[in-house]
Amino acid sequence: MIWKLSLTGIKSRLKDYLVLFSGLTVASMVFYMFLAIAVNPAFIKNDIHVRTDYLKYIFIFGIVLLVIITLVYLLYADTFLLSMRKHDYGMYMMLGAKSTRIGRLIFGETLITGLLATFLGLILGFGLTWISLKILISKLGLEIPHFQAILPNAIIITIAFFLVIFLVVALANVYKLTHTPVITLLHEDQAPVKFRYRPFLRVIEAAGGVFLLAIGYYVMTLPKEQVFKIIPTALVTIVIGSYLIFAAVFSSLVGLLLKRKSFSYHGIRMFTLGQLKFRLQSYTRVLTMISLLFALALGAITVGLNFDSLNDLATQSVYYDATIVSNSSAVKKAESKLDVISKQTYHYKETKKVLYFDQAELSKQPAKYVSVNYSNNRGVTQYTVKALQVNKISDSNAIDNTIFMRMVPNHGQQKVKLVSSKELSKLSGQKNFVSLLRVKDFRQAYPIIAKMESQQVKEKPAFSALVPQSKAAFYGNSLAYSSSFEFMGFFLGFAFLTMLASTLMFKVLSGAAGDKAKYRMLYQMGTRKQLLRRSIKAEIGVLFLLPALLGVIDVLFGLQLFKDLLENPYRSIWIPFVIFIILYSFYYLLTVKLYEKLVLTKE
Amino acid sequence: MTEILRVEQVTKTYGKRGEKQYQALKGINFTVNSGEYVAIMGASGSGKTTLLNILSTLDKPTSGHVFINHEDNSTLNANQLADFRSKQIGFIFQDFNLLENLTNRENIALPLSLRGISTKRIDPLIDRIAGRLGIEQILAKYPAEVSGGQKQRVAAARALVHEPAILLADEPTGALDSKSARELLDTMEDLNQNDGITTLMVTHDPFAASFASRILFIKDGKIGKQMLKNELSRQEFYHLLIDHLDTDE
Ligand SMILES: Nc1ncnc2c1ncn2[C@@H]1O[C@H](COP(=O)(O)OP(=O)(O)OP(=O)(O)O)[C@@H](O)[C@H]1O
Ligand SMILES: [Mg+2]
Repeated sequence: MIWKLSLTGIKSRLKDYLVLFSGLTVASMVFYMFLAIAVNPAFIKNDIHVRTDYLKYIFIFGIVLLVIITLVYLLYADTFLLSMRKHDYGMYMMLGAKSTRIGRLIFGETLITGLLATFLGLILGFGLTWISLKILISKLGLEIPHFQAILPNAIIITIAFFLVIFLVVALANVYKLTHTPVITLLHEDQAPVKFRYRPFLRVIEAAGGVFLLAIGYYVMTLPKEQVFKIIPTALVTIVIGSYLIFAAVFSSLVGLLLKRKSFSYHGIRMFTLGQLKFRLQSYTRVLTMISLLFALALGAITVGLNFDSLNDLATQSVYYDATIVSNSSAVKKAESKLDVISKQTYHYKETKKVLYFDQAELSKQPAKYVSVNYSNNRGVTQYTVKALQVNKISDSNAIDNTIFMRMVPNHGQQKVKLVSSKELSKLSGQKNFVSLLRVKDFRQAYPIIAKMESQQVKEKPAFSALVPQSKAAFYGNSLAYSSSFEFMGFFLGFAFLTMLASTLMFKVLSGAAGDKAKYRMLYQMGTRKQLLRRSIKAEIGVLFLLPALLGVIDVLFGLQLFKDLLENPYRSIWIPFVIFIILYSFYYLLTVKLYEKLVLTKE
Repeated sequence: MTEILRVEQVTKTYGKRGEKQYQALKGINFTVNSGEYVAIMGASGSGKTTLLNILSTLDKPTSGHVFINHEDNSTLNANQLADFRSKQIGFIFQDFNLLENLTNRENIALPLSLRGISTKRIDPLIDRIAGRLGIEQILAKYPAEVSGGQKQRVAAARALVHEPAILLADEPTGALDSKSARELLDTMEDLNQNDGITTLMVTHDPFAASFASRILFIKDGKIGKQMLKNELSRQEFYHLLIDHLDTDE
């Protein structure tokens, strides 16, 4: 009987339930995807250019962040679930249902809702993972034709994680509801609000908030030598500052507007302001949290996208784009696909102990290299192209010798000697050559060059000594790093934004039941429906706008932290902002629509 | 005497066609003149709230017409109805219905700002009605900070501040203790007699009804009978009413 009641209860609020349910589904879907990428066997085997084991750690880091946001999100989603069901539960109890039975009902409802959402999320997660893996693999330039999107490990962990969470949530719900007096369950909407506060305290709080925030923003622009002092300072000041700003500044502003009668005595502005004033006070914590996590999410996407600029740095530290030591047809074919702008070839003869080079060739076209100078003032790295001094190449104490040794295939024991062409022709030994190439666009040519190098390793094992120093290797690793950061920043940011926006949505909707009577009363008094709608839009709009605004300002200052690491941290900042605005507006409109459904009765 | 309210052949059927239907009002006819104080009495389920919702334009009759100040409600669209309510009707409900997040002053200001009264005129109007209802001292407080009786006075002030054509009250004393109820009823009587405020009150409490000058009895969705106070004192009217209700059982 009581389960039937429960079902009809849910049915009558099906739409709200669907919103909640889809939120939970997204949470488990994204969770599974991150996990499935982190433990994916496709990435455990290393490519010679790309160390894919980075990926694992980056994604595990992502999972940790995801767990935190998922917990916060579930907390608010559950509050919303409870706010929908509280009245019903109170009713059953008043009708004489035993509280243990109600307890079991609540427990069952929460758990079933949670687990159904988890399973659905998993199934959708398989699809999402497959698509993500495909994108990721192609971004990394890897060739992994067969990869798994359905991983038993990841499935088990995901189910276990959500099962534990929902068990805890379900128990907490049982405790909360069975320890609340029935009368409060039935009439919680009318619970009195705290009204009085000391204005003096408000002013101090407000001033303190602005001050702390200013300090936080300021320290982030300081030189980065003391990054380990800057980050904790900024974190503490910004968290407390934001809290105080939400606690004092905004609600005081609304209070002031309310007192300015020439402004507030218009239509139902007074009502809107009154709603906001109390909302802002009771929303202090959630708004603070949202503004900060928004900043993190936006920051993660922006920085993630910017990691791409590191790839340019990686290519700057090596002068030549490719090295060719073989004239097999496969290598020749690959070379023909390159847009070569310069090519210099050095011939040599190889013995067990020595590589003999033709001095004339090297003098005519000296090999070049990039000298990297990490000048210490503000960490700016300088790259200078220099030519090797031919007379020093044979001198095993000279830097030029070391550098040249890294340019030629070498078994490790061999030395380099320069001889005249005449001497060279007299020497016995295996005839070899090394060609150093520069191409028009390295990043575009990378896949071909990487393939060419793999091919040469197969043909000439000595070549493998060159690979780790090659531009392709630097670039490949940088690409692995930056792509996975970019990918993760993007997805994590996306997941964060979605969950935060829906957290805010649930928070707002949780209060809707209590507002219904207010809107009904305004309607009875003769307020036009459009005016009520406008008031709802304005009220929810402000609640959405404030944390977003503060979050955006946080990001703009926070990016200062990356100005030494990244060439221009503000590059392509419009991308995360556009994503943010679209997502956020979607949730704003959805919240308004659902809220209207909940508070405006049809006549 | 001018007519303020005319109800003609109003019926109300709940339930959609095809579903189980219930006729709550079965042809109601009556008029209220300017300055009258009318009570509508009836047992629970007799259709009092249904009727009041129709009078206040919150609900539409299934058939029949309601004229307030000679204007037929049924010809108005939703926005016109809202405007009409904000201009012509003042409400008092059983459960106060003040907005908890606004001060009492702000609550009373709402109907005025809603009607677009100039901001400068609003406060003087509030002060005047507050003085009339004896609530000047609590205007700066929030509803949660005052007693139930005071809340109901604030609600009355809010219902009257914009000088509506008619004051509609649904069980206004329902949630009050007897002393506060008495005070509110005295005030309403005073407003009616000295300020000429036309009042229509719905109640099932004979004591509350005895303050009216005329009582309409509603039974099974029809106006059965009416009683006039004429020259009787309130006490006499009350006893007459009790006798009538006793014999009616
Ligand atoms: N929305 C509705 N749908 C269906 N029937 C309704 C609806 N509202 C009221 N009724 C029925 O119409 C009849 C009159 O209801 P109404 O609320 O007008 O009575 P009332 O006289 O105000 O009673 P009370 O003194 O208990 O408030 C009742 O039988 C009620 O069950
Ligand atoms: Mg009623």
